[in-house]
Amino acid sequence: MRNKQSKENINKGISLPLSIILIFAVLACIVFLVSYKISREMSESAIQNLNESLNLIRSTIEAVLNQEAEFQKLMAQEIAESEDLKEPILRYGENQTMIQISLICAGETEGITSKGERFTEEGLDFTAKGTLDGVDISKSYLNHMGTWAYTMKCPVIKDGEEIASLYVEYIYDSFNKSLPEGFYNKRAMLYIMDGETERFILKPKGMGERDAGHLNLSDYYRANEINETEIRNEVAECLKERRNIMFYHDIRGKDSLNYMWAVNGGTIYLVGYVPIEAIQQEGRTVNQNIFIVVAVMLIAFFLCCVLYYLNHRQQNKLREEREKEREIHNQQLAEALQAAQIASNSKTTFLSNMSHDIRTPMNAVLGFTMLLARDAENPEKVREYTQKIRASGQHLLSLINDILDISKIESGKVVLSVEEFTLNDLVSSVDAVIRPMAQDKEQKLFVDVTGIKYERLLGDETRINQILINLLSNAVKYTPKGGSIWFRIIGLKQRSSQFEHIRIEVEDNGYGMTQEYLKTIFDAFTRAENSTTNKVQGTGLGMAITKNIVELMGGTIDVFSEEGKGSLFRVEMELRIPEGQMDKQFWAEKGISRILAVDRDRDVCHNIQILMNEAGVAVDQAQTLEEAVSLILDSPKEGYHAVLLDNHLASQAADQTVQNIRDMLPDSVPLLLLTDNGTNETKNIIQTDNIRILSKPFFVSVFKETILKMRSVKEKSDTGQPEPDSSLDGLNLLAAEDNEINAEILHEIITIENARCEIVENGKLAVERFMNSAKNEFDAILMDVQMPVMNGYDATRAIRALARDDARHIPIIAMTANAFVEDEKEAINAGMNIYLTKPIDVEALKQVLKQYIKTDD
Amino acid sequence: MISNNKKRLKNLTAICLAGATVLTMAACGRKNGSGVNLAQMEESNVKIVNLFSPMEKMDAKVKNVARSAADKTIMLAEEKLGVEVGYVTYTAENYQDKTYDDVTLDRARNNMDDIYLLNPDTMRTLGEEGKLRDLSDLKCVNNLRDVVKAANIIDGKLVAIPQEVVAYGLFINKDMFNRYSLPLPETPEDFLECCKVFKENGIETPVGANRWWLETFVLAQAYADLYNGGNTEAEIEALNNGDSKYSDYMRPGFEFLQEMIDLGYIDAKKAYVSEAMEGEREDFLAQKIPIVMAYWGAANTETAYGNPDFEMLVIGFPSNRGRVPIITMTGFGIGNNAEHAEDAAAVLDIILSDEALQIYAETNRVISPSKNVEVECIPALKPLNDRIQENVYVLGSNAGLDVEQWGNTCLIVRDLLNGATVDECMAKFDQLQEEAFNK
Repeated sequence: MRNKQSKENINKGISLPLSIILIFAVLACIVFLVSYKISREMSESAIQNLNESLNLIRSTIEAVLNQEAEFQKLMAQEIAESEDLKEPILRYGENQTMIQISLICAGETEGITSKGERFTEEGLDFTAKGTLDGVDISKSYLNHMGTWAYTMKCPVIKDGEEIASLYVEYIYDSFNKSLPEGFYNKRAMLYIMDGETERFILKPKGMGERDAGHLNLSDYYRANEINETEIRNEVAECLKERRNIMFYHDIRGKDSLNYMWAVNGGTIYLVGYVPIEAIQQEGRTVNQNIFIVVAVMLIAFFLCCVLYYLNHRQQNKLREEREKEREIHNQQLAEALQAAQIASNSKTTFLSNMSHDIRTPMNAVLGFTMLLARDAENPEKVREYTQKIRASGQHLLSLINDILDISKIESGKVVLSVEEFTLNDLVSSVDAVIRPMAQDKEQKLFVDVTGIKYERLLGDETRINQILINLLSNAVKYTPKGGSIWFRIIGLKQRSSQFEHIRIEVEDNGYGMTQEYLKTIFDAFTRAENSTTNKVQGTGLGMAITKNIVELMGGTIDVFSEEGKGSLFRVEMELRIPEGQMDKQFWAEKGISRILAVDRDRDVCHNIQILMNEAGVAVDQAQTLEEAVSLILDSPKEGYHAVLLDNHLASQAADQTVQNIRDMLPDSVPLLLLTDNGTNETKNIIQTDNIRILSKPFFVSVFKETILKMRSVKEKSDTGQPEPDSSLDGLNLLAAEDNEINAEILHEIITIENARCEIVENGKLAVERFMNSAKNEFDAILMDVQMPVMNGYDATRAIRALARDDARHIPIIAMTANAFVEDEKEAINAGMNIYLTKPIDVEALKQVLKQYIKTDD
Repeated sequence: MISNNKKRLKNLTAICLAGATVLTMAACGRKNGSGVNLAQMEESNVKIVNLFSPMEKMDAKVKNVARSAADKTIMLAEEKLGVEVGYVTYTAENYQDKTYDDVTLDRARNNMDDIYLLNPDTMRTLGEEGKLRDLSDLKCVNNLRDVVKAANIIDGKLVAIPQEVVAYGLFINKDMFNRYSLPLPETPEDFLECCKVFKENGIETPVGANRWWLETFVLAQAYADLYNGGNTEAEIEALNNGDSKYSDYMRPGFEFLQEMIDLGYIDAKKAYVSEAMEGEREDFLAQKIPIVMAYWGAANTETAYGNPDFEMLVIGFPSNRGRVPIITMTGFGIGNNAEHAEDAAAVLDIILSDEALQIYAETNRVISPSKNVEVECIPALKPLNDRIQENVYVLGSNAGLDVEQWGNTCLIVRDLLNGATVDECMAKFDQLQEEAFNK
């Protein structure tokens, strides 16, 4: 079947060119026949035309000869009528036609010329018997003028008796006047040949090629290579019989029509040739035009073929491209379907996980609530249950926050809030969150900051914090009890002086990950699960969120992990350095220009040196206490203005060593003991006015703060000012909260803190209540954001717009479930002082209230 | 996208078809002719100049280089002046016919043409008859070599100017000389010895001759001393005064020719009836004879002796001063009563200008009459050219001599060929000298 189809295709493929060839063959035959016919007809026509032309020339010459003969006869009559025969002769003058007129009387051999000179027939040959109307014509001869001439001899008859002969000499040159100037556009050659001698006696002007010349017929034959005996015999025959002859022969490589045309009965001949191309000029032109048309048609046809071929190829190409596109499209569809299915599966898994993850703490909440109701009288149980309910609630909150975050990141609604922050705050806050978690699992957390030149940077601290919390909480999660976690912030070489290039590394020696999982670790809704970790709770969104945020900040995140050995997450990013980085003036004001850093670890000393040098403070290093003592003793007069001493080094020294160092220093010079964060070593340190603890890693800001505190304490102790009260006692708060439960909780919390709280249901009521309040009646306003009638933002704006003094100053604290940065920004823009997210952290609320009310005071 | 392309293609095709249709209709619908009167007007303002010159017999297979060179200069003149130069030619069919010189004289005397190509003798004859116009006013005259001017001044008028200085020499088949270990002949005796050796080796007639150029042998022996002895002017004056006799100069050459004839080295009968190159060319090219005589240009053109199948050398004629070339000039003259004399003068000024002579000399590889034109000669001509460069030559014609040499010597040599004795020939010279003296 296939073979049959293939044969049909081949037949089709062959038949098309065959048909085209056939058509062209037929066309070529037709064109050839038409051209041939045209050529033949034109040739016949041309030959006829040449015949007519030659006849015309012959007639012209014969007419001239006839006229000459008739005129001579008239002259003879005139002479015959005169008494003195010689007298008329002498009267004739020379002219350009009749070169010489002579007369010989009958019976005499000598006569006279018109010049009166002696004349004989010597040199004249009338034997050829050429006659014209009874007048004899001599053979051609070269006359005294050096040109070819002939003489006509006419009898002078008187009374029927020939009394004399009249001789008139004519030159052939005179024919020039009667013959056309040019023959076949001057391409034809024409000679006048003497029939008897076969000598060429005239080449009329304009006849043939200028540089060609022939003596006689045999020279003509030789020069033109007419050597064929047949032709020569035929010509000889015709000349003998005084007939015309015309034949084809090549002349100088051109096919030519040769002719010998008898004039005056063959006494002279027109001899020459015409190139065929000159004769058939019209025919050739027609044929050329036909060929041009055919050539144009052929070119057009081939162009059409080429166009057809190109078009066909283009179509095939397009078809192939379409097919490829379709294939790709199908593949993409298949992949999309697969991805959708995977996504669907992921979502299903996610939902399943969420269902499990949400239900678990929810179950705990509800269960403990039930237990709480049952054991309400038992304070111990109540505390235990409430603590567990709180933990479950926190977990639920983190779940919800993650889901909201990833949703927002994926929809591209995340905007970074770039503000100035210090690495110290960042590390501290992260440490504060993670260290308890690690301690719960008896894990060791090492925090290390090295190579950082600038600790005040511009960036979204909240998001960086989120990244670090995610990475570190994961490390805690996926590291078994007793494991170690390393948190490093490393300053890399700056690519630009305006950016600090930092690397954050979070390393653990935990479970590690499989290579398969590593491939999908940053995908949303994935979570490592195996027999070891399936008890770990989480949304599986943390790493996806982390990666997205890192990339949003223009950074990169890499992960290296080996199952059973641990993991390393490495984040690199560049953070802009704010202007006025170092408050050099502070150190100058405080009189600190030189300090001593004492630590076993040279890196720590070096790090301190780098940071303090930027602040304009010189740093001397010592790795041992002895070295430190030596440096202090050898120091110049001003000495050191502060000493940073590794507590570990101090603890290993003898009891009095530190005190000795302290004693060696003036009282005004602070001694700061560097401790590892999270260790219990600080418990045994007795902090005095000039001995304080400084947690590692070393940060200038912390150092500065500590110095400030030490000085302020000293000043306070000098002035005797009491410590401020930290409770909310006696505060009167106005709260706007539409949710009754939340309102109740808030009311209770504030009441517990011995403060008063008046709650209204929406923003409008809050505005009205504040309007109607007495001046400074309320110490602060707690404002929910999403409320009916008037939301918190509008209400804040309305309050701030009120025309009373306290309206502009009263602290307004936002309390909202909208936990995004954008919401916080909007709150601040609306005129709120600070932004707290629900559920309310009582301690945070207390701190904020104290801060703002105090500030307000 | 595809549909747009198709649309564009369709539009393009439609436009092309429409254009083709319009053009076809326009072409087919064109009226015949551009006016009512279809007669083609004859050109009546074309200036005609007639040039009379010999026409060498044509060979179908080769090109006449000399003729082509002249044609190029004529075409240059036609182009620059807008004239039409018509060629009028004559060549004798056989020895019984009038010679070209005879016909030239007849035509010039009857004012048949405007420009004539003149041999030295006809130039002298016509010059003396006052039939030729003085060409001294032509611009091209300033460029001519002095020897050229001197040779063409008759009665104080410059009556002809050549396009080339023609040097005659012996054309030698060097291969044949080598075959018999013969040195190139320096003296008449050497020459006779060479002929003897050739004859002994079966070459019946070693020297190919015609009725025109045997005079060169005579002139070489006659005037080698006169022109190269350092006393030229005095000797010429003595001849003109009658103190010396032409016959005394001519006798050794005639006797030499007579000896050649007697020994059968020259076929006198054949030479007497042969036109230039007619009798000897074929034999020389076929290496049947080792020696012919001809002019410089014959070595360059295939219609004469160009590109032979053997090593050819052109040397001077033997004399007691060694090999000497004979120098003569065939110049253009204008009839004193020529119908188109002014146009003819303008034509001459162009074809004899340095530009034209450069073209001529480069085409023909000849010695130019202009002192500003120099071209290298072909190797075969080097021996002849070397002698000319050494200023060793004999003038074939000299207007300073009262008796015309070139033509008269030619005619008297013919008499010798026809059987006259050397004494009879010398008597004719004496007669000519007397006639000239009595003028």
